[in-house]
Amino acid sequence: MFASKDEVRRALAAQRYIASDEIATTLFLAERLHKPVLAEGPAGVGKTELGKAWAAATGRRLIRLQCYEGLDETKALYEWEYAKQLLYTQLLRDKLNTILAGASTLAEAADQLAREEDVFFSERFLLPRSLLQAIRSPEPVVLLIDEIDRADAEFEAFLLEVLSDFQISVPELGTLQARHLPLVVLTSNNTRELSEALKRRCLYLYLDYPTIEAELNIVRLKVPDLGPKVARQAVELVHRLRSLDLKKHPSISETLDWAHALVMLSADHIDAATLDTTLTVLLKHEHDVQRARRALAAPDGSPRSFDGPRRERRRWPGDDA
Amino acid sequence: MSFDDRLLQLIAGLRAGGVRISVAESADGFRAVEEIGAVDREALRAALRTTLVKDPADLPTFDRLFPLYFGLEPPPLLPAMGGMGADEQQQLEEALRSLPPELADLLRRLLRGERLSAEEMAQLRARLQPDSSSEGMGAQGQQALRQRLDQLAQSWMDRLARLLQWLLSGQGPSSEELEQIGREVGLPRATRLEQQPWLTQRMLRAMGMERLAELLNELLAQLAAAGASPEALDQLEGSIQANAEALRDQVSRFVGASIVRQAVEQPPRQPSVADLMQLPLQSLTWEEAEALRDQVRRLAAQLRSRAALRHRRGKVGLLDPKATLRANQRYGGVPMDIRHRRRRLKPKLLLICDVSTSMRPVVSFLLHMIYELQDQVAHARSFAFIDDIEEITQDFAEHRPEVAIAEVLRRMPPGHYNTDLGFSLQHFCRDYLDAVDHRTIVIVVGDGRNNFNPSRVDAFETIRRRARRLLWFNPEAPALWGTGDSAMYDYLPLCDAVHEVSTLAQLAAAVERLFET
Repeated sequence: MFASKDEVRRALAAQRYIASDEIATTLFLAERLHKPVLAEGPAGVGKTELGKAWAAATGRRLIRLQCYEGLDETKALYEWEYAKQLLYTQLLRDKLNTILAGASTLAEAADQLAREEDVFFSERFLLPRSLLQAIRSPEPVVLLIDEIDRADAEFEAFLLEVLSDFQISVPELGTLQARHLPLVVLTSNNTRELSEALKRRCLYLYLDYPTIEAELNIVRLKVPDLGPKVARQAVELVHRLRSLDLKKHPSISETLDWAHALVMLSADHIDAATLDTTLTVLLKHEHDVQRARRALAAPDGSPRSFDGPRRERRRWPGDDA
Repeated sequence: MSFDDRLLQLIAGLRAGGVRISVAESADGFRAVEEIGAVDREALRAALRTTLVKDPADLPTFDRLFPLYFGLEPPPLLPAMGGMGADEQQQLEEALRSLPPELADLLRRLLRGERLSAEEMAQLRARLQPDSSSEGMGAQGQQALRQRLDQLAQSWMDRLARLLQWLLSGQGPSSEELEQIGREVGLPRATRLEQQPWLTQRMLRAMGMERLAELLNELLAQLAAAGASPEALDQLEGSIQANAEALRDQVSRFVGASIVRQAVEQPPRQPSVADLMQLPLQSLTWEEAEALRDQVRRLAAQLRSRAALRHRRGKVGLLDPKATLRANQRYGGVPMDIRHRRRRLKPKLLLICDVSTSMRPVVSFLLHMIYELQDQVAHARSFAFIDDIEEITQDFAEHRPEVAIAEVLRRMPPGHYNTDLGFSLQHFCRDYLDAVDHRTIVIVVGDGRNNFNPSRVDAFETIRRRARRLLWFNPEAPALWGTGDSAMYDYLPLCDAVHEVSTLAQLAAAVERLFET
């Protein structure tokens, strides 16, 4: 367990994850208060990466649960291994016969069979999915529940028991307690409002696009081959793109991809031609690419308003800044 | 105030500011503080932020409130002469001695941080500017006016003297004095934190801060003339300025704390969203409509997940033998769990909106709702009509909802008794009938008031035959249907469903039932 938030920060830095004060404090508290962390923010700001880095920093195994529409308990929690159960009954038929041989009446036989029932509904036949794995794991783990906003509201309700008490109720077995309290990270892109109950149980972390300096640090860390001048130029350009009204803004990972691309092209500065050929690394919509080209070609260099008023995007508090 | 009290007050302040914080969360806040300690202010801030605020929209409120309770203490005021060396004090004293004795006495007392009476202050002022004393105002009629002016000047002098005393002695205003001044500028009525900078400014003005520079300049000029060294005067001016800054911070903090306290004591009366949803759309004020627009977004988001759910749960469609075999392996091949081919329901929406005057509030809300549903309903086309029909899908696709709706309404200005649904339907059948096919849900939004024009039920029937469902949203109460020029009963028998949508709650319910099969 970490002794202070600065230690958390150093441990994350060792995993090449640059954590802000806020992130370090939240993770520190999550471990101390045994609470899940809910990380929200636009796509590609390193929410998932945070979970991975945390696992590496704490030396725990990472168990990841990717959420999607229609995810249900059999895929997230556990399932009975029916085939195995059937197989066992077949193979153990002889043994069963000997057990039941002494029974004189049908009721007696049923009673005897009932005594052996537990064999078939035991953890032996339980197929653990991510959540149960995290709970029953003999060594401590980090559980990453990715993109929880994609799952249905029912599934969220489902998670409540796991997240607040770190236990899972299996009707046939009773309640399974966690052997070690897992560290939990939930990520959300905020495509829908999460329930109050879920939020209440979590520590909330809002991740936004980093400042120029912070992003520059990340680029330096992850793509050390890129020259410092080009790196700054690239990051500044990405920030300018983020200030434009685009369908999808370039994320940090795309900045890094672009930085790699620039290294490959061994560009020592970003000129119009380089930009023209590599812009598609940053922008994934044809419309965005065109719009960005027009904006970047503007003589004053400032994003002009064009094509009429801005399209409404989902509102993030950092957007206006 | 103890630390825990401050934390409790911060939580109360956040709640008054509209942030929802449960008891469990505030308990988490306390536990977090225990773990993180209260020494590192940034860590404390991060700890409270992560435990108390769970909605990005509430973060600015937190950022505004936090410094009020856990901000750095504003720097204290310091005695203005304190920073001076003995030499400089000596030198200043000598300079004072060369002045006329009364003036020197007054200045000396002032610099020591003593409080002068209003008369003494006026005297000081008069001596500093000998020519500005009002002489020769002999006219009898002006006597009353002059008295009044004198009184005003007196009260100003009083204030200035008080301010000078605070700044020079290094003892800021007492809390009673602050409250007194706060009352003068209307602070007790303020409940919104946005008012803080403005009220701070007003309080400083009421203290006489604006006049201070003028007086100070005269004072310093006089001392300089008397031979005080520029360094000493510089230092004096500097420390007075620092004190003035400190005073500003103190006042700002006082104002902020007062506002939050008042906001906690009397939370502003706001009709709840649930209430608003029951209000007729026509009678909403602009603010209420704004509040509801956010609600529309929320409803659409809810609807989206629910609609998706229905797709999944629906046990309709053909048997899927492969999936069934796979799923029933576990039962030894006995088909206990029947799988169906999932029916991919991709509904299309077609909207026909009456945008004549009476309809506008409802239309704008419905368009908002549809706009938010665009992800779900990939194919949506919208038409608007008054006397003729026009496609507005394009406006809708390109602009933000507010802009698009405003643009449409600008292009189609309401006329006088010119609504003609019959002609519009006919025109639609002639030019746009390809927009309707077996997957299309057609929604007509209108009050059915047709100005006694022909109803053209035949055109309506053509649309109905091609469409999957034909719905009508009417903002009028059912009792009014068919009265006057309402042709509602002509169209009603052809509709699959007719919903009254005079409130947002009804609109939400109606839209929610759109995707029922």
